[in-house]
Amino acid sequence: MNWPDFLALGFMRNAFATGTAVAIAGSLVGYFVVLRRQTFTAHALGNIGFAGAAGAQLVGFSPLGGLVVTTLAAAVWLTFVGARLSERDLGVGMLLMLALGLGVLFLNIYSANANAALGILFGSVLGIGERQMWVAIGVSVLVVVLLAILFRPLRIVTINEDFARAHGVPVELVTLAFMLTLALSIAVAVPVIGALLTFAIFVGPPAAAQAWTRRVGTGLALSVVLAVVQVWLGLLASYYVDYPATTWIAGLSFAVYLASRIGRPMGAAA
Amino acid sequence: MRPEDAEGAKPAIAVAGLAAGRGRMPAFRDVTFTVPPASLTVLVGPNGAGKTTLFEALLGLLRPQAGSVRILGRAPREARRYVGLVPQSARLAHEHQLAGREFVAAAFRARRLGLPLARRETALAVGEALAAVEAQDLADRRLGTLSGGQRRRLLFAQALVNRPEILLMDEPLAELDPAAQRTVVGLAARLRDRFGLTIVFSTHDVNPLIGIAERVLYLAGGRGVIGPIEEVVTGEVLTKLYGVPMEVFEARGRRFVVQDDAVMAAAPEEVAAAR
Ligand SMILES: Nc1ncnc2c1ncn2[C@@H]1O[C@H](COP(=O)(O)OP(=O)(O)OP(=O)(O)O)[C@@H](O)[C@H]1O
Ligand SMILES: [Mg+2]
Repeated sequence: MNWPDFLALGFMRNAFATGTAVAIAGSLVGYFVVLRRQTFTAHALGNIGFAGAAGAQLVGFSPLGGLVVTTLAAAVWLTFVGARLSERDLGVGMLLMLALGLGVLFLNIYSANANAALGILFGSVLGIGERQMWVAIGVSVLVVVLLAILFRPLRIVTINEDFARAHGVPVELVTLAFMLTLALSIAVAVPVIGALLTFAIFVGPPAAAQAWTRRVGTGLALSVVLAVVQVWLGLLASYYVDYPATTWIAGLSFAVYLASRIGRPMGAAA
Repeated sequence: MRPEDAEGAKPAIAVAGLAAGRGRMPAFRDVTFTVPPASLTVLVGPNGAGKTTLFEALLGLLRPQAGSVRILGRAPREARRYVGLVPQSARLAHEHQLAGREFVAAAFRARRLGLPLARRETALAVGEALAAVEAQDLADRRLGTLSGGQRRRLLFAQALVNRPEILLMDEPLAELDPAAQRTVVGLAARLRDRFGLTIVFSTHDVNPLIGIAERVLYLAGGRGVIGPIEEVVTGEVLTKLYGVPMEVFEARGRRFVVQDDAVMAAAPEEVAAAR
């Protein structure tokens, strides 16, 4: 096959494929994360996943497996324990703190881990192997399918929970299903963008999209476009200018955010 | 109108010997009443009397501790799709950037799984619901830019979007100014008259509903009584109900309910003007 210059190398192709899959799934889930004001939860899940990955590595399991298991477990915990909105940030923050405390312990015990840990915290999209790529693509497809199935109940629970409950929508079940979907998409996004930078995909693009459009459908579409373009441009930039892709993607995400806040339609005519 | 909606037809809501509560203790017991189709019933009672609890029982969200509830002749859970609710504490996110029509559309067949692909059908239902509450002008406004009264209208539209036959409204007048209260009551009356909706409307302020609602159901002290407004809305009953002195008087051919000290404070013209 005749690849363009920047796709000539296998690891770049893996990076583009994985980055695209993660950007699509992450920004779609992220649209609801922003609408539900759960951005702190999304951020925390990534970092809790980091501790899981470090722990898994320590005992000789796959870090990706550790990421998936811990984010899923944290999602279940946060759904049932941190369920009450008034306590949500507190519940999320305390769990995050505990996880990071453990993460540091794992690194301390096995310091050869430090480099791998850096990759999880800040992302290492150029170091993604073929197997990991297929896992990320598979999980991303699953996430999109789950969101499509959940879409209507999730939308009403997000927009008017009291109404949803009164009309027989199983609010707790929908919330749990969404949290698990979020956890899955975070778990595969962390190696790409970094546990500390999940905002770049899960929050930046959807927040900008919500500032620019009032419609759900358009907002979801715009959110995907922004996330994918960010990732592509970030990868291209890192190929031609040798800074980490994460840096470029984060920079682009911030630029989009700034643009959406400055060019935000104001007031009634918005 | 369906044939059985005629006079003396079977009731839209039939409650017999009902005891219900969210905790172990019922909020009320032995409540019996029926509501005929295409009518407007006001539900009054002090805080904690069980108005919201009664709505939950009518929606089948609470299992009766005693007695029975029939909605359109069915068990409440089976009648859900015929019932719309305007919830009391709608935590309508103030910063939402979504358009009014999205807010209403979200409620359309919301229990089904899968993507909402029937776009034209949804648009039609949303348009009808917005028109029914005269809120077409809010369709493209962002939720975050709306006033309390405008949000109420959207909540109202949301409850109508699945074309219910029964509409339960839990304190829809709270936080509204008198003009907005009047509008909401007027819309409810119109839905009853034009579309034959059966409405149960809870409120602490019966004034805007006098002359419009046919009957009052009042809940207090764990009991419930239903009757025509003239019988229930009397100073004696209301004073007992709320535990503060209340007075009902007639002026310009209408009835007014006033807390006693307010009667002292306000000149009659002011009381009348406040309507
Ligand atoms: N989760 C609960 N567990 C136990 N008791 C509850 C619960 N929720 C409410 N109650 C009690 O049930 C009773 C009825 O409450 P309900 O909310 O139905 O009253 P209400 O008439 O709607 O009051 P308001 O005018 O304040 O809305 C109250 O005494 C309340 O304290
Ligand atoms: Mg109540």
